[in-house]
Amino acid sequence: MKRLLFFIYCIPGLLLTVSAGAQIKISGTILDSKNKGVKGANVYIDNTIDGATADSDGVFSFTTTEKGNMTLVVTDPKYKLQGMPMMLTHDTSGIVIHLLNAIRNLEDVTITAGSFASGDRTKTVMNPIEIVTTAGSNGDLVKAMEMMPGTQQTGTETGLFVRGGDASEVAIIADGMVVQSAFSNSGPGVPGRSRFNPFQFQGVAFSSGGYSARFGQALSGVLDLNTTDLPDKSNVNLGINSGGVYASGTKRWKKSSFDAGGGYNNLTPFYKIAKTNFNFYDVPVGGSGYARYVWTPNKNAILKASVNTSFSHSGIKLPNPYTDTSNSFQYLGDSIRFTNRDLNTYGSISYKQVFKNKYTLFTAASYSLDRTNNSFGNDYFSFPIKQDEHRAQFRIEGKDFVTNHFTVSVGAELQSFGLDKNFGYGYDTQNKQVLTMAQNFIETQEVAYAEAEWTPIYWLALKPGVRYEHSTLLNKNDIAPRLSMAIKTGMHSQISLATGVFYQAPGNLYLLTYTDPNHPTKLTLGDSINMQSAIHYIANWQWTKSDRTFRIEGYYKSYQNLIRELNTFYDPNRYRTSIDGTSINNSGYGYAQGFELFWRDKKTFKNTDYWISYSYIDTKRLYENFPVSATPTFIAKHTLNVVGKYFVDKLHTNFSATYSFSSGYPYYNPNRPQTEGNFLKDVTTPTFNNVALTIAYLHSFGKWFSVFYLSADNILNTHNVFGERYIYNSANQTYMQSPIVPPLYRTIFIGANFSLSQFSKDEL
Amino acid sequence: MLMGALSLSVMTASAQQDYTTPLKATWDAFDTTMAPDVQMQLANKLVLISKKWSNDWAPHFYVALSKAYMSYNEKDEAKHDAILDEAEKELGDAVSILGKQTDETWVVAAMIANSRLAVNPMQRWQKYGKIFNEDLENAKEINPNNPRMYYLKAVSTFFTPKNFGGGKKNALPYFEKADGFYAKEDNKDVNKPYWGKARNTYFLAQCKIEDKE
Repeated sequence: MKRLLFFIYCIPGLLLTVSAGAQIKISGTILDSKNKGVKGANVYIDNTIDGATADSDGVFSFTTTEKGNMTLVVTDPKYKLQGMPMMLTHDTSGIVIHLLNAIRNLEDVTITAGSFASGDRTKTVMNPIEIVTTAGSNGDLVKAMEMMPGTQQTGTETGLFVRGGDASEVAIIADGMVVQSAFSNSGPGVPGRSRFNPFQFQGVAFSSGGYSARFGQALSGVLDLNTTDLPDKSNVNLGINSGGVYASGTKRWKKSSFDAGGGYNNLTPFYKIAKTNFNFYDVPVGGSGYARYVWTPNKNAILKASVNTSFSHSGIKLPNPYTDTSNSFQYLGDSIRFTNRDLNTYGSISYKQVFKNKYTLFTAASYSLDRTNNSFGNDYFSFPIKQDEHRAQFRIEGKDFVTNHFTVSVGAELQSFGLDKNFGYGYDTQNKQVLTMAQNFIETQEVAYAEAEWTPIYWLALKPGVRYEHSTLLNKNDIAPRLSMAIKTGMHSQISLATGVFYQAPGNLYLLTYTDPNHPTKLTLGDSINMQSAIHYIANWQWTKSDRTFRIEGYYKSYQNLIRELNTFYDPNRYRTSIDGTSINNSGYGYAQGFELFWRDKKTFKNTDYWISYSYIDTKRLYENFPVSATPTFIAKHTLNVVGKYFVDKLHTNFSATYSFSSGYPYYNPNRPQTEGNFLKDVTTPTFNNVALTIAYLHSFGKWFSVFYLSADNILNTHNVFGERYIYNSANQTYMQSPIVPPLYRTIFIGANFSLSQFSKDEL
Repeated sequence: MLMGALSLSVMTASAQQDYTTPLKATWDAFDTTMAPDVQMQLANKLVLISKKWSNDWAPHFYVALSKAYMSYNEKDEAKHDAILDEAEKELGDAVSILGKQTDETWVVAAMIANSRLAVNPMQRWQKYGKIFNEDLENAKEINPNNPRMYYLKAVSTFFTPKNFGGGKKNALPYFEKADGFYAKEDNKDVNKPYWGKARNTYFLAQCKIEDKE
């Protein structure tokens, strides 16, 4: 590197001597590697206060009374310090010193393959304000992630769909703990909303692959959330919107804080105005409450403890998907009622301590219980689907900052989770009663991991890691190696690469069915079933300069050992409660490949932030009850998002608009044979189009800071279609086709938030 | 060359002197100028003083303070942070020589946090606004009569948009409070920081000019 060289030109006269006693004048020029003057460089005789500052041409001049062997030193924050020994005997001019760029003046090389890292030294893709000001997100942080590359638009499904994976393949982690039930319980075709308030978190980091060895049990991606630390000050926060009301309060002491809050949602007034596509006989109602305590015993430690609870219920009337065969639910009639009831509780505690600014210790534990009491039926019968999902977990992690360029972390995790399920599977016509059965499983996973972050030279960063996972239920051990790296290719650009092996246990439905001792096709899981796995290969090139980012990323992902149901027919119902009469194995497989473009610019236009993300995907898989390999129904080949935000100072108003586009989604047409090339061949038309708008107006009423907002999703009222549903009509023995549509086309939501911080003139 | 003259006046003292004379002369010049180029030259001079008398806390303290001041002029985020990294290092040196945090070191820490915020308020207010307030609270606990913490709070409020609780009207009480405490100080001993008075007076006058918005 030519920058590694530096030249000091001294004119020959420098070493000549003159008589002592007089003041000596020293002058010259300070230049950078491109021979441009370094304005502001500090030039001085070491260990004296004699010196000068270079002007815009790099020229400096000063006098000194010092004599003899001295060192001329040049410093500037942007460059490496340079020293030049000299003999001070007489006036010296024409000194030219070239400075080298300091390493830290280059933007740090950061590994970005598969993940989004932005400036400000944190790996945060979006902060809370950015989430709530993104039109179309409706204040839901997971929905906001759908504006990033690598994700699918979903209007009728719950969860995040990343690079060919279904919603189960993304792990959502809060403070190192797996969030078990991240989304509200909802009926078929009604997308559940994530349970989080974006303001709970300092930031959100999203990885669409190739992620750290700290995380596992996710074939596709990780959403890593970090809760806020000690709040600024005591405050009260109140809100009302067309869906409900909420209130919270925070009390801040010097080293600790307590906050608590609650909310109540009832969509009755909203659904009175809005036209829904579904028949809600029980309009969604819910409530929640939380309490949180934060304590910083010293400035290098923080303890956080919280409990959260929430309930919800709703009911919708749907076409009966089981009218076509001699299915036990056939006689429910043409339409069924589906009722949701849910009670979710979650408690967690975490502690982080930094020792001597060199070591960190992090421990966390949590317990969660999600109790759903769903049912489906008609006016006369009701089949229960009761389910208790529970999870206890613990994590301990140590990190050693060995040097500025080398850190090592090691950690261990214990996960114990399971399900207790009780559901109706048929009706005894003689005794006139619903037949129910119970199933349950408990899985314990023991995990250990190690990871190093090494920057051997300023243009190279390496992050190797390895993760060991033991599954008690499957009686299997797996080792998942991970590697990611970044190479700087210029002042503002870099290449990142990532690869690794990722494991995930079979879905709950399979673990339940095949550990049931009464099940006719019970498998001894330890003998025959393995973890499902995926291998990721990711490469990107990213250019970042002063709040402008461009990046292109390509990936290939291969799926192995996916769970497959054998000798079965495809059932498009994604809400199956049991799998009867089929056996399973790990013979499923698949691939996903594609590329993504991302451009974000917060700089060009004042008070404006906009980004464009485009994703192309080609994926096929053979898994679950697919008869042959096909592109799943939640995949659109092309996805585009254009998000813009503009803050008008004068009006104190933030405007945000989002345009989203997806090409069509494959759907199941029972009129086609279930063979390769025919199965899931049809793709919906028209394409998905959505224009969303959010306007937020800020105003202070005395000490109350308020935000009034209006958020409109699908303002053009486009009739988007996410698939086609075929219902067998036994009367004329044909399939009736109807489009799968979201619960609402256009939604308009209004609300206001008021907050009061402790404030008096004497206080700071 | 104005700067040449300033440098000379600072340097004429004998080599055996202690740091207080050159430090006071340089700092006083810095504290009363608003010209960025002059500030830069004086800040460089402060660096030299801190290098020569590196075992004394005050020279490091004033280097940190001068860099915190100047960082506000740098709009490039990376360079802005590089200057503040240096300021933080110098402040850390001052604190470790002192063996403790004082109200004055907390105030400078608060100023550094405020400058980190100022370069990108939309992205940073959440993190650095909090640190700023905490540092000021810590200062207040040690000495509630320190005018500089009220001055910093005042300036921060002054530049905060009106609808976020800022603006001239909201800043005025803080400037007035600072002014009262400044009046009780003298500027004789550079080891007892007295900085900020000139700027406080300037802003106080600004606040009293009719708010036209």
